[in-house]
Amino acid sequence: MALQPRVLLVDDDPDFVEATKAILETKPYEVIVAYDGKEGLEKARKESPRVIILDVMMPPPDGYAVCSELKRDPNLCKIPILLLTAVMQAVPHTLYTIDMGLRTEADDYIDKPVEPSELVRRVEALISG
Amino acid sequence: MASILVVDDERIIRDGCLRILGKLGYEVREAGSGEEGLNLLQDGPCDLLLLDLKMPGLSGMEVLQRVRENHPGLMVVVITGYATVESAVEAMKAGAYDFIPKPFTPDQLRLVVHRALEKRALEMEAAGLRKERERGLREIAGEKSRIKTIIHCMVDGVLVTDHEGQVVLNNPAAMRMLKMTAPGDLGLPLREALGRDGLEAWAEKIGQVCGGKSPAVSQEIPIGETTLMAHTAPVLGEDGEILGAVTVLRDIGLLKAMDRMKSDFVAMVSHELRAPLASVEQQLSVILAGILGDINERQRDMMARAKERTRGLICLINDLLDLAKIEAGVVIQYRERLSIAGVLEKAVEILKGEAEAKNLTLHLSAAPSLPPVMGDQRNMEEVFLNLLSNAIKYTGEGGWVRVEARPEGSYLCVQVEDNGIGISPEDLPHIFDKFYRVKNAQTRKIVGTGLGLPIVKRIVEAHLGMVEVESQPGSGSKFRVYLPLDPFWEERHEGKHSAPDSGNFGSPS
Repeated sequence: MALQPRVLLVDDDPDFVEATKAILETKPYEVIVAYDGKEGLEKARKESPRVIILDVMMPPPDGYAVCSELKRDPNLCKIPILLLTAVMQAVPHTLYTIDMGLRTEADDYIDKPVEPSELVRRVEALISG
Repeated sequence: MASILVVDDERIIRDGCLRILGKLGYEVREAGSGEEGLNLLQDGPCDLLLLDLKMPGLSGMEVLQRVRENHPGLMVVVITGYATVESAVEAMKAGAYDFIPKPFTPDQLRLVVHRALEKRALEMEAAGLRKERERGLREIAGEKSRIKTIIHCMVDGVLVTDHEGQVVLNNPAAMRMLKMTAPGDLGLPLREALGRDGLEAWAEKIGQVCGGKSPAVSQEIPIGETTLMAHTAPVLGEDGEILGAVTVLRDIGLLKAMDRMKSDFVAMVSHELRAPLASVEQQLSVILAGILGDINERQRDMMARAKERTRGLICLINDLLDLAKIEAGVVIQYRERLSIAGVLEKAVEILKGEAEAKNLTLHLSAAPSLPPVMGDQRNMEEVFLNLLSNAIKYTGEGGWVRVEARPEGSYLCVQVEDNGIGISPEDLPHIFDKFYRVKNAQTRKIVGTGLGLPIVKRIVEAHLGMVEVESQPGSGSKFRVYLPLDPFWEERHEGKHSAPDSGNFGSPS
């Protein structure tokens, strides 16, 4: 049997994690969870996931910092990253001093909350892309 | 008409004078003795005294002496019976203006009187002018003290430095804000007058303005627990030479604190309110999608309504955050001499990836030698990131985006041009409106807040510039931003514009 694609979900909100995990598990994915940025980085290194779903607003290191670190790591930079955020559109770089370069480092981004079918579609696209 | 007094003990002389001068329209009084003459002088104003030198009682010389003491401005012409040059010279040494020998003809009298009165008129005029000048000086002094009072009462600090950077004026507010000690600081170089709280860099900046090396600057200075906003402008003399600089200081600590609170509030709202709501909605979505098992019709119905309510709340929070964004986007915090080429290069660098992802050609043509503008670096980055990011968003695969900067009169014109989907004539007048988004089949999938262009417009206008757009649906859009050039640059750095290199960036390779 072919190995199930491993998806790493990084978010500090356990309720959101539970719901999102349930959505992802409707597909034949192996879902691994990390509850903060540091744990996310560790698991990205150890578990070599096929896709990483990364929340932006977390206690440091936040999603941008994690994304930036992953993309600078030659062993991990190939893993597609889907940024998940409640603030992407609403709070721009003026207030948030978000370096837009980081935003473009991610492979895709999606607003929170997300329709289950849309989330599955995006993750599917990243895995097959 | 002039008033004349004739003092002579000879009646015939008095009558003759009365007759001749009366005919000319003068007001003439007469006195037969020195004592009587002095008394008459007390009674009313007199312009000219015709005085006989040889009289019984008080002599003419004695009268002349008293007149000089008590009526210093009065013109005196002596009448000398014996026509000796000595007595006339003596009288004139004693202050008489002229003399007339007895006997005299009517013409001689008229001539002497006329000349004396003319002299009198000139002296009066000169005295008037002198008085006026004194009053003028008093007024200037008064004006000075009024201005001083106004400056001293100001809540904002005022600090004036001369062309050598020495403090020549500071009001109590400035001294308090900068923690300077009493007026002893006057005359000290600014560096020494401040010298304490690590304000050296700022003093240096002011020194550059005083020395004509830098135009007006505005900057924030953290001092103690608060922050000052300091606007420094050169003071120019009549010929445009720099006499020094005036700095106005405002305590913006409270504003900064409020700004921080607002930012904190925005962060709090987005994280503490929006995130849990997102979580709730996510959970509802999972149940509604039947992922955790079947639910019945009534359960589904209620869940759907609950989801709608959370969605409404999330939208409301989004709007609140958008408003905070537009307010935050237009505060000019710091204005400095800026190279737009640098700003454009940075914007292109940041957005290169997005353009590459859509296979767009991104071309920048802005020579580093372009004359600089006065602006806030972050605000300018915001303007061109927004315009460029829009151009990329609204241009299809394989298209191009061109950025070009060139001086136009006293402005720098930056044009961001694309060959994207363009803007319809109906939408064109509204694209700078808050929350306006072009909605059609082509734009449906494009993410945005409808606040990017309003922010561009507000920032550019806050910099005393303007923004224009030209567009044809289907063939692309041209946005032009005009920013005023730094007016001090041209005068002082002419000839440097001709640096040869032109910065091309991201051109097709």
